[in-house]
Amino acid sequence: MRKALLAGFALSVCAGFGLTAAHQYARSDVAGWREIAWPFPRDGWPAGRAFRCGASLCGDDVELYVRPKIGFCNCDTGVADDDEVDRVADLDLMSERFAPHELGKAVQIADMPGRLRSYDLLMSDGSKHSAIGIAVARRCDLLVVVAQGKGAASGVQRVALDFLGSEKLAPWMTVAMEGH
Amino acid sequence: MTGHVKLASYLSAFLLSAFLVACGGAFAEPQVIGAPPEASNMRLVGANDLQARSAYQPTIHHQGDRWIAYIGHHGGTNDVPNPVNPQTGKAEPNGTSIVDVTDPAAPKYLRHIPGQEGKYEGGGAQMVRVCDGKALPKGDRNAVYMLRTFGSEAHEIWNVADPANPTLVTRIAGLKDTHKSWWECDTGIAFLVSGAPDWRTRRMTQVYDLSDPANPKKIRDFGLPGQEPGSTGAVPTELHGPISAGAEANRVYFGYGTNKGGFLQIVDRDKLLNGPKEPTPENLRLPEISRMAMSAFNGAHTTFPMKQMPIAEFAHDKDGKSRDIVMIVDEAIANECNEPRQMVWFADVTVENRPMMISSYTVKETSGSFCERGGRFGAHSSNESMAPVFYKKMAFIAFFNAGVRALDIRDPYHPLEVGYFIPSITPATDKRCVTIDGQPRCKVAIQTNNVETDDRGYIYIVDRANTGLHILELTGPVRAVAGLP
Repeated sequence: MRKALLAGFALSVCAGFGLTAAHQYARSDVAGWREIAWPFPRDGWPAGRAFRCGASLCGDDVELYVRPKIGFCNCDTGVADDDEVDRVADLDLMSERFAPHELGKAVQIADMPGRLRSYDLLMSDGSKHSAIGIAVARRCDLLVVVAQGKGAASGVQRVALDFLGSEKLAPWMTVAMEGH
Repeated sequence: MTGHVKLASYLSAFLLSAFLVACGGAFAEPQVIGAPPEASNMRLVGANDLQARSAYQPTIHHQGDRWIAYIGHHGGTNDVPNPVNPQTGKAEPNGTSIVDVTDPAAPKYLRHIPGQEGKYEGGGAQMVRVCDGKALPKGDRNAVYMLRTFGSEAHEIWNVADPANPTLVTRIAGLKDTHKSWWECDTGIAFLVSGAPDWRTRRMTQVYDLSDPANPKKIRDFGLPGQEPGSTGAVPTELHGPISAGAEANRVYFGYGTNKGGFLQIVDRDKLLNGPKEPTPENLRLPEISRMAMSAFNGAHTTFPMKQMPIAEFAHDKDGKSRDIVMIVDEAIANECNEPRQMVWFADVTVENRPMMISSYTVKETSGSFCERGGRFGAHSSNESMAPVFYKKMAFIAFFNAGVRALDIRDPYHPLEVGYFIPSITPATDKRCVTIDGQPRCKVAIQTNNVETDDRGYIYIVDRANTGLHILELTGPVRAVAGLP
């Protein structure tokens, strides 16, 4: 059921972006995602998992980082607004300088509700990347995802959501939210 | 039981105890109802169940010839969202308890003022501060004013001159995530912790002139650059609470973060109040003197200033005999040690633009197998009274399932635990759960959440897990540290 819901959501998101992104991003193949070492220095939260998808499968190089943040969420309201995505979604691990494209939207990942927002990232070398930040909540805990690449944010979003809905990742996210 | 069986039984118990001691730690005994409190150099004087409401801030006020405790509450629990107030017979959302503690051995519950509907941190009225009308520049001299949060959505001021019959004076509403505010009684300036709707952080500061509580005047919004409306990029850690050292000292100490990425910010109070108020990055930076980052593992729940502390060890030094110290208390938020240890830190801020952490304190986990007892283990808050009886001499730290801890802080470079008290649990004590293999696993343990002291030397601790208020005093040679007979 969960898989079906995620697939349905992913399809509707994809439809929303139309064909403009399709020329930049081929249909992603979850098998094309390769796990890489968590690239960021230790911070207040334990490291999560990091993945890279090459241009041949994702249309451009895309990296995705996902980790739980246990005990970080407003227990009653969950991820209530876009500001919360700005605050928690680990965008600052890649660059302190990011700006949202637009208002975020509701999303559901691994049965957890939250919000998704797309951003422009100004990297330390001066290059511009696109990113999406996702924060979803279960009770008082968060799961945060950030995906970034050089292509359009809509394409990054599409391949990231495909991957997050896959059997390769979804079961782990559920277990990770239990603190394991 | 025959003699041989008895002997074998005793021998087994002895061997088990010896094994456990040899293994280097106390046995993880869960707390049980009916067991005595655990204590060292502290004694229970009196208690009140606070109608089994989860408690946050206690403030003890000397009011005429009486001593009144005002205690803020979190919202209710899933099991009991709105506990029944025995005085009214009605179910009421947790709010503020008002207790006459003139006789600490027989505290008398006077009144419950309901708070915002909602459970846990989503309701209640956690924070409370009290000022006499005669102390405030424009207050009614016959009034006693209680400033409290109303759930997360407002600040309220009540006249509690008759603490059994409080009356609402004013309300500052339309907010989110109101929390641990500070109110200067001699000036009326209040540093209200709020979430203004357009700011990018859950909690920031709204500075108000509450010298006339009936007519609050907003002075400005304040936060860190990156939190203000319209900014982009990384959002700095949210505020938890400030403590002002007052107009003369001209400093406000802000603590950011609770259990992660915290820091201490030292602010010029005059520039904060009288500088340009538009929340631009430049204007927000202007009052800041310095900012000391803590480990990403820790946050700053309480930042308690102690200026000009004479340090005996430095008495013969040509310079630096006395130091300005800020005690920083983290907040543990996860049950059963599912996070880095949250503890107490002492920062030397004598050279304000180069503050430095000089020492730390934590309860030794092995002294009570606290990670296994259930609920939170770690620091949460300290007493905030600056009354002479304990100020710069002793500090009291709420340490959740390790109760309250008494520290000798006369040498803040080497703080020393000199006493503790862990109350007994009662049938009202609520469970605390963790998830194991997808299932909740719950334990019941005391959760000492906040602590305050009064001018007489009594120590008041309150419990997050609904066990109520315990009034304590020091015993034995430790009383001499505070100069108590």
